[in-house]
Amino acid sequence: MNEFTKMILAFPALALLLSTPAWGEGEPGHVDEGDGHDEHEAVQLTDAELEEFGIEVIPAKAGTIEQYVSLPGEVRPNADRLAHIVPRYSGIVTEVLANIGDHVKRGQALAVIESDESLAPFEMKTMIGGTVIAKHIALGETVSREKDAFIIADLSAVWIELTVYQRDLDRVRVGQKAKIFVGHRLEEESGIVDYITPVVDEVTRTATARVVLRNREGRWRPGMFVTGKVLVDKIDVPLVVPRTALHSVEEQTVVFIETDEGFMPRQVETGRMGDTNVEILSGLSAGTRYVSSGGFTIKAELGKESFGEGHGH
Amino acid sequence: MIHRLIEISLRNRLLMIVLALILMGSGYYTYTRLPVDAFPDVSPNLVQIFTLTEGLAPEEIEKFVTYPVEAAMTGLPGVEKIRSISNFGLSVVNVYFEDKMDIYFARQLVGERLQEAREQIPEGFGEPMMGPISTGMGLVLFYYLEDTTGEYSLEELRTIQDWLVKFHLQTVPGVTEVLGIGGFEKQFQVVIHPEELIRFGVTLSEVVDRIRDNNLSVGAQFIEKNSEEFVVRSVGLATSMDDLRSIVIKTDDGRPLFLNDVADIQLGGAVRRGIQTRNGVGEVVSGMVIKLFGTNSSTVIAGVEARLEEINRILPPGVRVVPYYEQKSLVEAAVRTVTSALVQGIVLVTLVLLVFMGGFRPSLVVAVAIPFSVLFAFLLMGYFRISANLMSLGGLAIAIGMMVDGTIVIVENIDRMLREAGPRESRLVVVTRACHEVGRPILFAISIIIIVFLPLFTLQGVEGKTFRPLAYTVAFAMFGSLIFALMLAPMLGHMVMRPPKTGGKEAWIVRALLKPYRPVVTFFVHHRWVAVGLAAVLLLAGALVFPRLGSEFTPKLREGTIVVRLTMAPSISLEESKRTTLIVERRLRRISEVREVVTRIGRGEVGAHSDPINSAEIYVLLKPKEEWREAGSQEEIEDVIREELGNVPGVLVNLTQPIEMTVDELLEGVRAELAIKLFGDDLDVLRREADNVASVIRRIRGAADVQVDQVSGAPQLLVRIDRGAIARYGINVSDVQEVVRAAVGGVVAGEIFEGIRRFDILVRYEPEARNTADAIRHVLINAPGHVKVPLDELASVEEIIGPRQITREDNQRFITIQCNVVDRDIGSFVEEAQAAIGEEAALPPGYLVKWGGQFRLQQEANKRLTVVVPATLLVIFLLLFSSFQSLQNSLLILLNIPLALVGGIAALWITGQNLSVPASVGFIALFGIALENGMVLVMYLNQLLREGVPVDEASVRGALLRMRPVLMTATTTALGLIPLLVAQGTGSEVQRPLATVVVGGLFTSTLLTLLVIPAVYKWFAHAPAQEKSTRTA
Repeated sequence: MNEFTKMILAFPALALLLSTPAWGEGEPGHVDEGDGHDEHEAVQLTDAELEEFGIEVIPAKAGTIEQYVSLPGEVRPNADRLAHIVPRYSGIVTEVLANIGDHVKRGQALAVIESDESLAPFEMKTMIGGTVIAKHIALGETVSREKDAFIIADLSAVWIELTVYQRDLDRVRVGQKAKIFVGHRLEEESGIVDYITPVVDEVTRTATARVVLRNREGRWRPGMFVTGKVLVDKIDVPLVVPRTALHSVEEQTVVFIETDEGFMPRQVETGRMGDTNVEILSGLSAGTRYVSSGGFTIKAELGKESFGEGHGH
Repeated sequence: MIHRLIEISLRNRLLMIVLALILMGSGYYTYTRLPVDAFPDVSPNLVQIFTLTEGLAPEEIEKFVTYPVEAAMTGLPGVEKIRSISNFGLSVVNVYFEDKMDIYFARQLVGERLQEAREQIPEGFGEPMMGPISTGMGLVLFYYLEDTTGEYSLEELRTIQDWLVKFHLQTVPGVTEVLGIGGFEKQFQVVIHPEELIRFGVTLSEVVDRIRDNNLSVGAQFIEKNSEEFVVRSVGLATSMDDLRSIVIKTDDGRPLFLNDVADIQLGGAVRRGIQTRNGVGEVVSGMVIKLFGTNSSTVIAGVEARLEEINRILPPGVRVVPYYEQKSLVEAAVRTVTSALVQGIVLVTLVLLVFMGGFRPSLVVAVAIPFSVLFAFLLMGYFRISANLMSLGGLAIAIGMMVDGTIVIVENIDRMLREAGPRESRLVVVTRACHEVGRPILFAISIIIIVFLPLFTLQGVEGKTFRPLAYTVAFAMFGSLIFALMLAPMLGHMVMRPPKTGGKEAWIVRALLKPYRPVVTFFVHHRWVAVGLAAVLLLAGALVFPRLGSEFTPKLREGTIVVRLTMAPSISLEESKRTTLIVERRLRRISEVREVVTRIGRGEVGAHSDPINSAEIYVLLKPKEEWREAGSQEEIEDVIREELGNVPGVLVNLTQPIEMTVDELLEGVRAELAIKLFGDDLDVLRREADNVASVIRRIRGAADVQVDQVSGAPQLLVRIDRGAIARYGINVSDVQEVVRAAVGGVVAGEIFEGIRRFDILVRYEPEARNTADAIRHVLINAPGHVKVPLDELASVEEIIGPRQITREDNQRFITIQCNVVDRDIGSFVEEAQAAIGEEAALPPGYLVKWGGQFRLQQEANKRLTVVVPATLLVIFLLLFSSFQSLQNSLLILLNIPLALVGGIAALWITGQNLSVPASVGFIALFGIALENGMVLVMYLNQLLREGVPVDEASVRGALLRMRPVLMTATTTALGLIPLLVAQGTGSEVQRPLATVVVGGLFTSTLLTLLVIPAVYKWFAHAPAQEKSTRTA
């Protein structure tokens, strides 16, 4: 009966065949990341690969940080060079000599009015030279001293009134440089913040910063909406990197530096953040070669082990 | 009963012939109608529900879309599980049904419930719809549009694809869906200048409303005029960009403000989550054809190809549709592999018959058994809806040698009887007697072969779906051969066979073999212990070799098309993804064997794929094999590709194949042995706890490859509204949300019709006003009193890392911890791990752990097999017992099984193959054949004994007499498999282990049947006294 037991064994052997646990498709060579959170392996790339993937490596050096605050605003006539023209006496308009948009010289007659009291005609004159921007007067109309007949503005310079929100109030100062953009393919212009309202508006809760712009060609028309970028800070710092060099790896900010073993993430402490550059406070020393752009590829290579989830291997 | 059956068929010969012809004819007819596939379809029985919500983050998709859909689907009959993925902009809910559910019924159920879900999903959050009526094998043809002139933009090409190519392809019978990807979907874009809105004092929502108000047509019934009816149409659809430009937003002082004044109207491409690239050069527009569930791949593809030719004729000059992947060649290759094996097998078997039978007539009778059994199997395949594919046809190829066995025994007996019969005896009587003698044993032998395949039917999942068709066709063919042997062979034998004129002389080969066999078998019969020793040595050798065998689940089916799958960082942008993919494509193009590479990145039109943009699939199209440098096979070319690609920085590279990839995606099972699923609500808690659990598991002995699913990693810009701030300005949350949605994300404000082609009108801020975090912070929001407030006064705008996707199962979020177990038994590992987790990683309330993975499947399989295998064994034993009426005889025959096992193991070891499921199938087939051989021999030995021959003499004489049929059945089976053994075509890699095992096992088993069984027969034979009593009984 020895054979019989063997035979009995044969079928379990078959059962074994059908169910060998080693059939699981575990990959023997699979790398277990473990908890190597701090121990990053270096990423090695050949020069050809750097070129292929567009990775740029430069030495760390000093630079400037330019910080801008971006503010909405609008073009206004220069209030210092604005004249509201009213008749000296009330009366009937007998002649209108100026029209909206006309350029007028100082002392030029704008209209002729027949006084109600003297019934004598007199000329209404402008006290500044500029452009007629408003006209509330028509032939035969009765005009009075209470109502502006003309508004004359000197548009050779205009005011850009920028809206300053509360959070930016302590950063925007008089004397700072500002770039004014209009969009619509119009060129930008630079000016200086020369005044900030001491109180904030009760409705909008904003203050107004003023930039005076020269307006020779009349490109800046009052009423236009603009965006002003005020350079609130410009500091020379010993170490800067472009913003494109910073990456976040495991919730830490890092820069990829070049070492003998390859590229490694180096945790850095950032200081002031500029438009294009970022100040580095620690973690990087001058002269260290680091990846200024294209670092995403390296970041991805470092995190590679973890993205195979979801789909089969 | 069997006797009656044989008599009936011998008496009604004409009727039987007619019936047989009808059967064969309808078998052939069924064959021509059978759906043909490359492989058995292993995709799960599921209905997919897609909901597209442009621009929504995973969390919101889950909350507003996925959950209502899931909730509606729970409680449907036949649902096995519901699994969902909430991605950026897309929700996919997979409802898995039991395999036995009819797919159309399942879809109908889902469709009904979907209506409920629609009501729960908030307005504007997308419409859930069911995926195509197809399976993982449904992607039958991919094509791209080639523009030789270089004059067409990607938008124009995509329009051609969507409104011309797709349109015509959709009507091909068997095509259920055509999905486009790549290029840009044409769109009328209203690019808003936000500062103009402020200047003119209009809001974005006013603009959107005005566009809607100025773009509609109505019908107004009819008027009567002179007894005629005139239908009234009022046409007010915008049809061009100029129509849009002149829409009036508002009128101030009689001055109209046109849309043109606040926005630029332009043609552009819609936001996209997928592209298609080619040859490392740039983008192409492409499409994929999905065939209807249950249709014949070959005919569908042929239909599509024919239609493509027509389409190419009507396309604008210079544009051409170029198919770059189709399943037809794969189907053809797979079918060719097995059919050529089938044909070669038939030829070989017939040759063996001719040689052994030594006569043309008996060989003819036996040979006819093959076409009859095959056609009979086709008939049943048609009835049971089993498609013709690699596995089902493979089953027939395996069975070729076995199909003739029953008939061989019959014919051999007739042949012998005719030789011995006197000249006066009627042929009919002789034939009837010969058939009666072996009828019963044949019935039992063939039944046993069918029964051994029973365990195969209990295989579940992918393996079950892969190998069950094979088991079915083997069973069908064997059943057919049984009918042939019992009902047709006697009749044919009577009609065709004649008593030999020269008297009973054996064929020359039989005589040649008998000469050395006689002394050997005599020696063994006289020295029984030597035979036992030989058997023991062989068994020992087998036991030694067995642990050395490697193991794998199922050898990979080679589809002949290589797909390089790239997985990039989850946070990657589409542009970067494209750049990286193009680099990889260029590297692939350096390989001289590669003709072309075409890549899909992300997903196109919803229905087939739900991949995010960090995933790319490169189809590597190879030159014809003759032009290859050194590689001779798909594996070798894969090695070349791996080598040439090397390590791609930042990219995970996997080589896979089109069907394999799609099926894997649908299964979405965990491939590790152990999967610990942690269910719970809070993603952060889940992640923390999962890390905890993982660290506990890592410390347990035997843990390997412990991995936690990475669920986060997608950066988000989170706008969090400050309720205090909006209260101060008197703004509603919705005011802010509307602006953020429309300004940053864009909003569709209707459609423009060009004939029946329709294109969206998208209103969105100009790019400079929305494409950086700073710009978004500066988006201005209207507050009461003509106050404009920038967004970041009202809300915090911060960069965070969010979930890349949220997966749910059984209505709950989960995270998976995968683990393999080495060097220890998995059961004890699980116990220890469960205890450790209970102690060290106490979970917060509401969080629970479920244990699963391959180990669970194996446990279930083991459990089933511990019932099925002994049951099978018992049935076989009972059959043997009822056939022989003897316990000892039955045991002796079962002795063949371990002896056959040895040969199979040795054959695997020698050819360097692994233990695998197909190899096990081979073992199963082997057992059946071995049992059959044993039966043939023991039966005759018993007969001699009954005639009063002493045991020793009977052993030798019986062995000598039965050598011919034993050798014949063994050789025919083995030779029938030789073509599969040496085949190199598509799919041969799955059949080879099976064939190896059977051929190797037959070798030892036949050897031992012929040497050991006669030797040990004495111990198992009936005592003469018993013999007497049985005979009298």
